[in-house]
Amino acid sequence: MEENKENKSQAIIEVLDFGPLKITGNFLLKDLKRGKEDSPGEIKLCICGKSGNKPYCDESHKK
Amino acid sequence: MERNDNQFSGGRRYKNDDITVYWKPSACVHASYCYRELLEVFDPSRRPWVDMNGSTTEKIIEVVNLCPTEALAWKWNDEEKNESVGSDQLNHIKFRRPELMNSIDADSKEQPVSVKIMADGPIVIKGNFTLLYNGIKKEVCDSMISICRCGVSDHMPFCDGQHRKAGFID
Repeated sequence: MEENKENKSQAIIEVLDFGPLKITGNFLLKDLKRGKEDSPGEIKLCICGKSGNKPYCDESHKK
Repeated sequence: MERNDNQFSGGRRYKNDDITVYWKPSACVHASYCYRELLEVFDPSRRPWVDMNGSTTEKIIEVVNLCPTEALAWKWNDEEKNESVGSDQLNHIKFRRPELMNSIDADSKEQPVSVKIMADGPIVIKGNFTLLYNGIKKEVCDSMISICRCGVSDHMPFCDGQHRKAGFID
């Protein structure tokens, strides 16, 4: 099970300080509620719950 | 069963045909629900102390869900069934030990990372990726994490299931 420990990180998931979740790299975004699928390469997702444009960040966390 | 097959980082695992139960001794606070409720399966005086043939899958899941820590966690052996497990299944590894949600196919290493926005719930991220938070850098390999999207979690940035109580709607 552990034979291949080589890590091939495909994307960087970064929780920005007091801000959104930034995702960059090779990833597939699926929005189950809105039935959307996309590979944007870079995205900022709301994790504070305040965005008026969920799932995306609209900078509402600054308010 | 091979000896190594029973071990994983941090503990041991026990299987029947339906589920795998993970035991992480360092997390146990000896609340004792497991052996009080189901001694046939969880008997601390026996070696190995977990006997997966001692009861039904349904009963084992019920008792593992009583564990107040991440010492006991469980998952379906059928990976597809794990995707749809609800947060009422408190000690499913998705919620307790997301790092154990190993993908079964080794070919997934160069697959795109799966980022799922759950309806009125967290962001579930699965695959091989680098996680940066609070000054911590973590390489996540063939595994799954769940990120809070309602802002209410006590374990930020990770989801702790409180979005349901908070009535989060996206």
